[in-house]
Amino acid sequence: MATKIIDEYAEMMKAYEQSGGKVGEFSNPNVPSIVISGNKVLGKNEVKGLIIEPTPTKDGVDVKITVKSGTKILYPMALCFGVLPKEGTQIINMEAYIEDNAGMNAISHCVFPNAEHIVHKMRYKVHIGKHSFFRYKEIHFHGDKGGVEVVPYTEGTVGEDSYFESTFTLKEGRVGKLDIKYNVDVEKGGKLELYSKVWAKDTDEVNIEEKGNLKGEEAKALIKSRVVLEGNSHSKVVSVVNASAPYSRGHVDCMEVVRDNAVAEAVPIVGVSNELAKVTHEAAIGSLDSKEIETLQARGLTEEEAIKVVVGALLK
Amino acid sequence: MGTILEIEDLDLKKGNKYIIKDFNIEIEQNLISVILGVNGAGKSSLAYVLMGLSGYKPERGKIIFKGKDITNCSVTERAKAGMTLAWQTPANFEGLTVREYIEIGMKNKSLFSVKEALEKVALDPVLYMNRVVDKSLSGGERKRIELAAVYAMHPDLVILDEPDSGIDILSLENIKKLILDFKENGSTVLLITHRDEVAEIGDKAFLMCNGKIINEGSPAEISDFFKDECSKCDHKGAPEKSLAKNERSE
Ligand SMILES: Nc1ncnc2c1ncn2[C@@H]1O[C@H](COP(=O)(O)OP(=O)(O)OP(=O)(O)O)[C@@H](O)[C@H]1O
Ligand SMILES: [Mg+2]
Repeated sequence: MATKIIDEYAEMMKAYEQSGGKVGEFSNPNVPSIVISGNKVLGKNEVKGLIIEPTPTKDGVDVKITVKSGTKILYPMALCFGVLPKEGTQIINMEAYIEDNAGMNAISHCVFPNAEHIVHKMRYKVHIGKHSFFRYKEIHFHGDKGGVEVVPYTEGTVGEDSYFESTFTLKEGRVGKLDIKYNVDVEKGGKLELYSKVWAKDTDEVNIEEKGNLKGEEAKALIKSRVVLEGNSHSKVVSVVNASAPYSRGHVDCMEVVRDNAVAEAVPIVGVSNELAKVTHEAAIGSLDSKEIETLQARGLTEEEAIKVVVGALLK
Repeated sequence: MGTILEIEDLDLKKGNKYIIKDFNIEIEQNLISVILGVNGAGKSSLAYVLMGLSGYKPERGKIIFKGKDITNCSVTERAKAGMTLAWQTPANFEGLTVREYIEIGMKNKSLFSVKEALEKVALDPVLYMNRVVDKSLSGGERKRIELAAVYAMHPDLVILDEPDSGIDILSLENIKKLILDFKENGSTVLLITHRDEVAEIGDKAFLMCNGKIINEGSPAEISDFFKDECSKCDHKGAPEKSLAKNERSE
């Protein structure tokens, strides 16, 4: 049993590395971290002012993370979630409490290297107090069979003069089915930034619904999505900003690039219910710009190489 | 010194209109050849045909580069053969840094060479290397980065489409110096412009009017012809007239 766990840990680390993570982080005592394979917690490291409380469940793990008031965590927390077998379900319920005058950056790698039929559900509840920050990056690495269904839902509150940034990236391997939802309230002077970057291929399906509610005076939100679609993939991006407080400001910036027979939809919804609030939006769906591709070809790249560079930069 | 590029009887049609007609030119190796012409003469279209861009396949004619017929080659094949183009209005690339952009065309990628290329166009590498090649750059900055990128490639033939446009008058000397450096490094330059003060650094000049070369000679001669004849000419849209005029004067 012990060697099995060691093997599992080693394989998780391998996938973590493939998805761009640095494995050394998990042995550095200064870097807060957690590794969860299926419903097993394989490793955990707390640092001063940060409490990580995982509770294994039938199909996953419930995790409560608390950054204590007055603490700014120096190193970004490293999280690794994944399922190694071909099939399975993983449900992660994560509650993050960033108390007042506190802050943390976190990078989470979700790895499913052998996926043929995997359901990965994430429920995030993010509570950010006053004068605090939380930057969360989630990077996905799926195999090339497209057998993953990823369902990350985030609900949260950004407190007074606080900042929440969340970035979701899925550009390695197939997407499978992706269903992202955000619903975040922003209080007085708070700032919300949501970024989604997805490269869909083959029969992948992408559904993104991001909603920011500007409830406090001078609250701000930026919702930016970049989706590149190839093959017969399909995407729908619904970006919503509701501004109900004076001097609140929101902006939606959605760009989808379609190739082959892919189909993209973009629905920006901006609601303003205070005369002193302002929300703007831009949405563009189109093919890759041939001038960009030909410029890189004129520097010696093949067409395929040029497309990789343009798309890679767009999703960076 | 031989010929590096030869264009024979080239026609390019857009819609039902000839943009380039009966075009012939020979470009000598390791010289700066200038193509001078008014707005709409077809200079950029010529550059696009030479580079093989989509939508710019000639109706008729041949392009011979380094002795090889490249008329049907792809953009990539032409670039690999040693030719490149600096666009009049360069494209923007969301997310791509200046350093990455310049490195793309470099055979031996090195930070030193990226810095050197930026210094050539009078941009401080520290300030610009990690900027993104998107609309946050000013028009003039973007043009300089385009020139730096083609410079770093060390091409055998570089087509510079109006390298001076969008560049302030104070920096014009700097751009001229760069063009001379291309030659110094062994590149042949095809310099497209409509400004005679830029044309003067060339070794040879051609006057392009309505899709044709109507005169060739030293840059001084062609600049004079351009100033004397083209400025007051009423031929715009009627090259035959100007051609006739030119032939008459011979
Ligand atoms: N796609 C097109 N369809 C129709 N006409 C075109 C097309 N592209 C270019 N033209 C026309 O061809 C002519 C030559 O254009 P081109 O851009 O090559 O001129 P230019 O000499 O580079 O001008 P400038 O000095 O303004 O850059 C112009 O009259 C232009 O309107
Ligand atoms: Mg032009």
